[in-house]
Amino acid sequence: MDNSIVISTPPHVKSARTTKGIMLDVIIALLPAAIAGIVFFGWRAAVIIAAAVLTAVIAEFVYYFIYNGGFKAKCANAGGVCISWLKQFDFTSVVTGLILALILPSTAEWYEVVIGALFAIIIVKMLFGGTGKNLVNPAAAGRVMMFLSFSITTYVATNFEPISLDSNLFTGATHLSGYLLGGTASAKMEWIDLFMGVGLAGCIGETCKLALVIGYLYLVIRKVIKWWQPLLYVVLSAFLSVCLAATAEGASFDISLFVDYALSGGLMFGAIFMATDYVTSPKGVYGQLVYYILLAVLTSLLRFYTKLEVVSFVIMIMNLIVPLIDTYIVRRPFGYKREKKVKEGK
Amino acid sequence: MKAVKGKFFFGGVHIRDKKSLSCDVPTEVLPEPSVVCISTHQSLGKPAVPCVEVGQSVVEGQLIAKANGAVSSNVFASVAGVVREIKQMPSASGAEETFVVIQSDGSQFKEYLPPLVQPSPEQILERIFQAGIVGMGGAGFPAAVKDAPKTPVDTLVINGAECEPYLTCDHRLMIEHADEIVRGARYIAAALGGAAIAIGIERNKPDCIAAFEPYDDVKVVSLAKRYPMGSEKHLIYSVVGRYVRPGKLPADAGVIVHNVGTAYAVCQAVELGKPLYEREITVSGGAVASPKNLWVKIGTSVKDVIDYCGGETGRVTKAVLGGPMTGTAIADYDKYITKTSGGILLMTSKEAECSAPTACLNCGKCADVCPMHLMPMQTAFYSNAGDFESAAKLGGTMHCIECGACEYVCPAKRPLIQAIRKTKAAVRTAKAKEEK
Repeated sequence: MDNSIVISTPPHVKSARTTKGIMLDVIIALLPAAIAGIVFFGWRAAVIIAAAVLTAVIAEFVYYFIYNGGFKAKCANAGGVCISWLKQFDFTSVVTGLILALILPSTAEWYEVVIGALFAIIIVKMLFGGTGKNLVNPAAAGRVMMFLSFSITTYVATNFEPISLDSNLFTGATHLSGYLLGGTASAKMEWIDLFMGVGLAGCIGETCKLALVIGYLYLVIRKVIKWWQPLLYVVLSAFLSVCLAATAEGASFDISLFVDYALSGGLMFGAIFMATDYVTSPKGVYGQLVYYILLAVLTSLLRFYTKLEVVSFVIMIMNLIVPLIDTYIVRRPFGYKREKKVKEGK
Repeated sequence: MKAVKGKFFFGGVHIRDKKSLSCDVPTEVLPEPSVVCISTHQSLGKPAVPCVEVGQSVVEGQLIAKANGAVSSNVFASVAGVVREIKQMPSASGAEETFVVIQSDGSQFKEYLPPLVQPSPEQILERIFQAGIVGMGGAGFPAAVKDAPKTPVDTLVINGAECEPYLTCDHRLMIEHADEIVRGARYIAAALGGAAIAIGIERNKPDCIAAFEPYDDVKVVSLAKRYPMGSEKHLIYSVVGRYVRPGKLPADAGVIVHNVGTAYAVCQAVELGKPLYEREITVSGGAVASPKNLWVKIGTSVKDVIDYCGGETGRVTKAVLGGPMTGTAIADYDKYITKTSGGILLMTSKEAECSAPTACLNCGKCADVCPMHLMPMQTAFYSNAGDFESAAKLGGTMHCIECGACEYVCPAKRPLIQAIRKTKAAVRTAKAKEEK
């Protein structure tokens, strides 16, 4: 026998799944949306995606290089540090960069994207301790920061000339924003177009719902996410929106709006790729249930009252209360039975 | 009886079982080793007290260590020969134990207890105690204690789940000795005062299910193939549909669970008077030349067993005594088979992946697969920070059955079981201190 025999606590067999593998799965699931974005929005979309992903990866590397363990010593051993970084590189920054790019409109300038990605990686993720430690979804936070800082260019998507069919429709805001602002966009949008993203204004990755559904199916089949999670969020949120819309003056309950609400804006993208982010969603199954229901309620309420596209905001807000959910909503152990309270007195 | 489906519970994980390595290999008998080293601590509770002296000659089946107190079990000589030494040395798990070393003289002279004919329940119970029978599934709880419950028991569940990957010894035992297992189960049921008999078998062993269907007094339950189906609480729920409440014993739910190996041993003890000094084990893994199922004498060294199976092929990354999910990794082959060792596995680096843990992603997969519905990631997080009280409270650690499903599924390969054991130990010490 060789001396290199390993001793450890059981179990001695482990599943083949690794963090890296899961992140690669997410990237693969995001690819259809990215490709659809490039097809619809042209080279600008490609530039934004490239800028966001490269910035995210480089920012993570630079942070790794500077932080922890003496900058000078690391400079002296730059090659070794690079190799150790590559060894621990788990594609999380690629996912963050890709998601951030896909929730930006194609009119965003490249330097804005770089600033957003730097914010997402350095401030939101790495300063809190890197992979697995961030409090809020870095991509959502980056997008919110950009929305607040460069609101005109990032929010309004106008670069839609190549496939523009009807100039009335694409005066700027996304389909949903136009609709919420009192426009009559939905009357002119066919559901199938809404689904395919043809002739639809919006962010790079959000328009083509077919690509998103493909990504969703891939993630579900690979068991990266649970099938009911995005579904619960989208369906409940759209249904509540329909109910809320019925409370407006002169409006009646119109279930046909359901599809418009479900397919509009960033809801589907957020539900599939951002809300389900492992790090910032609850761990227990009941906590997850509460989390997705609250997400749906908040989304429909804020959409109704602010008339803005709020999915990134809502996800950020909900991320912040996840630690609370994890602490207080705990499953009972198998076989546990709540003891009946004995009535006192009498 | 025709097999019925077991009840569903949430949690558990589907593991590639690798049973095909050895499940079709008929059981062989390992030739008698020249020396056996028998531990006196082969069950839960107190170690047995040696009752032989150095230089004394013993025969196969002779009592060499007497049970010390109620929760303890007798230990028997597994070969005929001379006691060469009684010494202290570390067991497979690392604890110091007393071993009786017997040099075989090759005579194979046997001496059993008198066989029982038409035994009464009291006689059976006494025989189970005399024959030193313990739970053969791995925990090693003395069977005589289990079979004298304080609450009335109406069902005896025989555990044929064998949910651990690689191990096939129970599988072979069920095919080759179904009749003895049923007879043993009948004796135990009689000792329990006429309990009904049910046997739970995982669906990946259709030949075993078929082997038990002809018996009319045995309810056969085919269980989903999910680890840890063989866990006592989950087996009871699947087979009988009753919960064992936290902190309670199965007997409180009116059920007693025995492994198929235990039932077989009881049959032998009652009908032949043969005490427990032999068991079936599986030798498997990618680094064993020819995986086998073997009858081995208690006290045989791991080295003898592996040599019989053709030795190693390729590099061994891990050697495991027991199953891959709950067994003990051993550092060398100078370890000895006990009543509770179910197998010897030599695993290649491909099978026993030993990569360094990465950061926890909070993915919650450990909570999803936890059969006890706990939160292992909370235990790991808080125990890492030294806050064992929060770790136990938020993670529900004290309910943990240490099945290892969480660590199996963890994509970051975090050492969760280690954290859980550490937390349990810390909480117990804190409690003991408080009581002082």
